[in-house]
Amino acid sequence: MIDPITGLGLVALMGALATIAGAAEDLESDVGSQSNPNSQVQLAAQMDFPHRIFNKAISGEPPAYGLWCATGATVASVLLAQNMSVIFAIAIGSLAGAILLGLFSVTAHMGRTASQKRFKQPVYMDMVIGHVPSIMAHGFIAVFCIVSFSYIMDHMLGHPFPLPLLAFLWGVTAGAIGSSTGDVHYGAEREFQNQPFGSGLNAAQSGNIVRKAESGLRNGMDNVWACAKFGGPVTGLALGWTVFFDNWRSTVFSGMNAVIAGLIIVLILILANRLVEVKARKAYGPYKDEEGGAEPA
Amino acid sequence: MIIDPISIALITLGGVLIGLGVHFIPVGGAPAAMAQATGVGTGTVQLAAGAGLTGLISAGFMYNFLATAPGGFGTSDFILVLASGAVGAMIMITVTMFIGQLVYVYCVGVPPVSAKVDKDPITGDRQDIYVSQGTEGHGVPTVSFVSGTIGGLFGGVGGSMVYVQLMQIGNAPADPAIVALAGIFATGVFYVNAVLASYNIGGTIEGFHDPKFKRVPKAIISCLIASLLCAIIAVPIMGGVS
Repeated sequence: MIDPITGLGLVALMGALATIAGAAEDLESDVGSQSNPNSQVQLAAQMDFPHRIFNKAISGEPPAYGLWCATGATVASVLLAQNMSVIFAIAIGSLAGAILLGLFSVTAHMGRTASQKRFKQPVYMDMVIGHVPSIMAHGFIAVFCIVSFSYIMDHMLGHPFPLPLLAFLWGVTAGAIGSSTGDVHYGAEREFQNQPFGSGLNAAQSGNIVRKAESGLRNGMDNVWACAKFGGPVTGLALGWTVFFDNWRSTVFSGMNAVIAGLIIVLILILANRLVEVKARKAYGPYKDEEGGAEPA
Repeated sequence: MIIDPISIALITLGGVLIGLGVHFIPVGGAPAAMAQATGVGTGTVQLAAGAGLTGLISAGFMYNFLATAPGGFGTSDFILVLASGAVGAMIMITVTMFIGQLVYVYCVGVPPVSAKVDKDPITGDRQDIYVSQGTEGHGVPTVSFVSGTIGGLFGGVGGSMVYVQLMQIGNAPADPAIVALAGIFATGVFYVNAVLASYNIGGTIEGFHDPKFKRVPKAIISCLIASLLCAIIAVPIMGGVS
C-alpha cells in the first residue's frame, strides 16, 4: 500500500495524462472525421456536395479506441515481461496501436469514398498521404497516454485488472467521452459554419457541409485546427475529470466515505448544469413567442 | 451436476439492471451531434458502455480491496462494491453530460431543451418555445441530466453485480486469470444488454419523460432472457459447477 501523498500525486499524474489523451482522441476524430458527425460527410456527396474532407468511420469511437488501447497495452505487457523499460514498452505498444489505426484509416477512407463513385466523389490520393500520418500521430498520443495511466493504475495503485483489460476499458470510456463532447463542436458548429450561429441544424440543411476553407478547399486539417480551440481541450477536461475524480475519491477516502464523496461530486455537477442551463436560456432566449406562434423580433 | 441458482439469478438481475439503465440515459445519436435532437450526441450503447465500464473499473478496485482484506467478503461489502461501481458510472456520465452541455451552450449556441414535453417535469421551465426551427430539441435539460444520472446508477450497479458474482464463483480474488475472465464476462454481459436496450430505444431517447420509455417492460423481458443465457454459460466457465 502506497502512502496517501504519493497516491494523490499519482492520481494527479493520471488526470493530466487523461486530459492529454482526451484532447488527442477528439482531435484524431476531427482530422479523420469519425463517429456521428461523419454521417454528414458521408451524406454530403450523396446530396451533390463533393468535398475534400477525410471520410473514415471505422466504427464507433469507443470500440475503436478499445481496440487500439488493448493492442497497445498487450504489446507493452509482452515487452514488460521481457524486462524492457516501461516508457519504451508503452511507446512501442502505442506505435503498434497507431499503425493499426493507420491501416484501418486507409482502408475505411478508400473503401467508403470509392463506394461513392456514382455520386462523383473523387478519391484524392494526396489527402490519404497528407491525413493518415496526422491521424496516426494523434492516435499515438491518445493511446500512449491511456496505456500510461492504465499502467500507473495497474502497477502502482494496485488495480486487480490486467493491463490490457484496463487499457481496453479506459479506451472505451475515452471514445465514449470524445464521441459525446468534442465531436459536437465538429458536427454542430465546424461542419455547418454556413448556418446562422445560435440554433440547432435545421434538418433540411443535412449534408450541406462547409467545403471551402479560410484558404482553398477545406479538409480534415482545417477542421482539426478549429476544433483544437474548444472541442479538443474540453474533451480532455472531461476524460481528465472522470479519471481524476473517480480515483481521487477512492484514494483520499475509503469505504462508504468514498461513495459519499462521489455522490457529492455528482450533485455539484447536476447543480452546475442547472446554472449553465438557466444562463443559456437567458442568453439565447425563446425562438417563438409565449403563445408558441411566430418568432419574436 | 449442480449450478448455484442464486449466482444465476444475480447475474441475470445485473443484466436486467443494465438494460433498464440504458433507457434512462439521454442519447440523441447522430442528430444530437448536429444539435438536431435532445441528448448527448452519441449512440446509446456507446455512452452506456462508457459509463458502465468506468463503474466496473471502480467496482473492481473496491472488490479487490475488500475481498483480499482479512475477515472475508460479507453482504455489507457486496453492497459497498455495488455502490462504488454505481458512483463510478455516475461520475463518468455526469461529467460527460456537463462538458457536452458546455459545448452546446458556448460553442453551438443553443439552450438545452426537450422537444418531448412542454414543461421540464423537474424545473417547470417552458420547453416548446426554446426548440429551434427544424430540430427535435438540443442539449441536455435538467430532466434529461437527472435521468442520465439515474441511468449511470443502474448501469454501474448492474455491471458490478455481474462482476462480483463471477468473482465469488471463481473464489480467487488475487488470481489475475480469474479477475481477467470475470472482467471480460462482465463487459460482455454489459454489451449484450446495452445493445438489446438500444434496439428497443431505436436511436434516440431523452430520458424517463420520453414516451419511448414506456417500452421498458419489453426490454426487461428481453434482457432477462439474454442475461439468463449469458449466466448459464458464464457460471460453469468460472468454475461454478459442483
